[in-house]
Amino acid sequence: MKYLPLVWAALRRKPTRTLLTCLSIVTAFFLFGTLEGINVGIDNVVKLTSVSHLIVQSRVNQGAAMPLAHKTQIESVPGVTAVAPFTIVIGTYKLPSNPMIIIGTDFDAMLKISTDLMVAPEQAAAMRRTRNGVVVGVTTMQQYGWKVGDRIPLRGIGPKADGSNDWQFDIVGTYTLQQPDWATRVFANYDFVNEALGTGKNQSVLFYVGISDPAKSAAISQAIDDRFANSPDQTNTANEKDSVETTLGQIGNYNLLITGVCGAVLFTLLFLTANTIAQSVRERTAELAVLKTLGFTDAAVQWLVLAEAFTLAMVAAALGVALASWVLPWITSGPRLSAQGIGAMHVPNLVYAAAAVLALLLALISGVLPAVRARRLNIVAALSGR
Amino acid sequence: MAAVVSLQNVVKSYTRGRQRVEVLHSLNLEVQSGEFLGLMGPSGSGKTTLLNLIGGLDKPDEGQITVAGERLDQLSGSQMAAWRARHVGFVFQFYNLLPVLSAERNVEVPLLLTKLSRAQRKANVAAALALVGLSDRASHKPTELSGGQQQRVAIARALIADPTLLVCDEPTGDLDRESAEEILQLLTILNQKQGKTIIMVTHDPRAAAYATRLLHMDKGTLARDETRTAA
Repeated sequence: MKYLPLVWAALRRKPTRTLLTCLSIVTAFFLFGTLEGINVGIDNVVKLTSVSHLIVQSRVNQGAAMPLAHKTQIESVPGVTAVAPFTIVIGTYKLPSNPMIIIGTDFDAMLKISTDLMVAPEQAAAMRRTRNGVVVGVTTMQQYGWKVGDRIPLRGIGPKADGSNDWQFDIVGTYTLQQPDWATRVFANYDFVNEALGTGKNQSVLFYVGISDPAKSAAISQAIDDRFANSPDQTNTANEKDSVETTLGQIGNYNLLITGVCGAVLFTLLFLTANTIAQSVRERTAELAVLKTLGFTDAAVQWLVLAEAFTLAMVAAALGVALASWVLPWITSGPRLSAQGIGAMHVPNLVYAAAAVLALLLALISGVLPAVRARRLNIVAALSGR
Repeated sequence: MAAVVSLQNVVKSYTRGRQRVEVLHSLNLEVQSGEFLGLMGPSGSGKTTLLNLIGGLDKPDEGQITVAGERLDQLSGSQMAAWRARHVGFVFQFYNLLPVLSAERNVEVPLLLTKLSRAQRKANVAAALALVGLSDRASHKPTELSGGQQQRVAIARALIADPTLLVCDEPTGDLDRESAEEILQLLTILNQKQGKTIIMVTHDPRAAAYATRLLHMDKGTLARDETRTAA
């Protein structure tokens, strides 16, 4: 610790250069933390999906509405245990900066299909009794400071059947999941939403389907799609896991992409940091010689240079990852993701550990040559400018 | 008085390009404890080489060098570094202070190698800066000090570990006459009142006049040795 002033002094010698290098490392580790956080978050999405739920969407266009009449036909397919339609109200809560998506569904069917959805039985019963009732995920409840019994006013973006844009929902319950962060949806009763809608009545943007045997998910999916093969509203059915993986597959190999970007950024950074440290050591040849003159051993001077690289890399990496851990939940907690049951993503602990190891490696690799140069520095030659 | 520096048949050469140049030829010298020795001579006569050998910055090719009771020619690099920290204070022509550190931090640097606590180091630094008359400039950086003040900080740094020997290479070479006088008077006080042994290389006869013994070097040998009364 007592040598810290010497390390800081070396870094302060050219503050602009140090700051710029520091910012580069901060940016690189911010990218690393954010991208790896997203990477792990996406993996979590896949992990949380199930092969025992099917998702029926329009074959023409994902998200395009299908007739509600499909529900009865899907229910009649052997192996199907429950069907929940989804209709959506998009609006804002109190302020335009609080966008919100309400999902109108058959909540009893949802409970049958999604066994991981945990709701108190009396709250599920209250949902049945209350036409404008909503069951809200615990994360959203916390986000807005809501409690059961509150009334939520919502300003819809489209007019209702009565010409107004104002919706009112009563919170009758709250649900949680094994991963509570991801309990973000707001479920309303399909009938209530459907009756009030100005346009798009008796439609569903998707059907959530429970099946009796996950091993038969492919056959049941095919059977559902066959039912609508001659319909103007053809369907595309897949189990939830396949559906998510197909969607992600359209992005490409995101894992490789993210790892590649991080690798390229860190590799470039290595040269930048190495150059900064090397330049700093070259400029301080006489100063390092003076330290040796005063009694610092060759090894001590070498460690001072390495400590300089280590301090720069560790401080900047810590700042970068801290920034990522602050920004990532913020940028991944939008209403569109919430409506899909995707909670805010966080920088996983493993990434903090990996960042520490990477920063250490960065310091070692970038600092080792300048440190060896400092160690080998000949006092007499350095002081005489040779 | 005991000899604090003893050189016997010391030979030192350097390689310049493909040529090997012998800078010191079988040199013998003894410096007694408490002496203020001035080293004079033309450029290339071997003054700085001799100073580097006595200060433990370099090793001889041949011969024995004993300083403060230690055979320097037999020490390893790390032993030599530890020995320098304990026994020698260096004062350079261009001060060689660390530019981003304040005066007190510069003076503290040699003490970082000791086991003294932060409080003890601070107390010692304050005493050293008071000795060179720079207590009020403790927090100033070298660029905020005049040449004479910077050299006084360098002297405080050289003294801070209470070394056996002060080695000064042209300590007034970069100073105006008034500042040079102040530095030389300070060195004289350190020599006379604190008994510090000082070896000073100089080209300046006025600076040399402060020495109690003057050695003239020429072509790697001691040409003349005169003991004198200090100015």
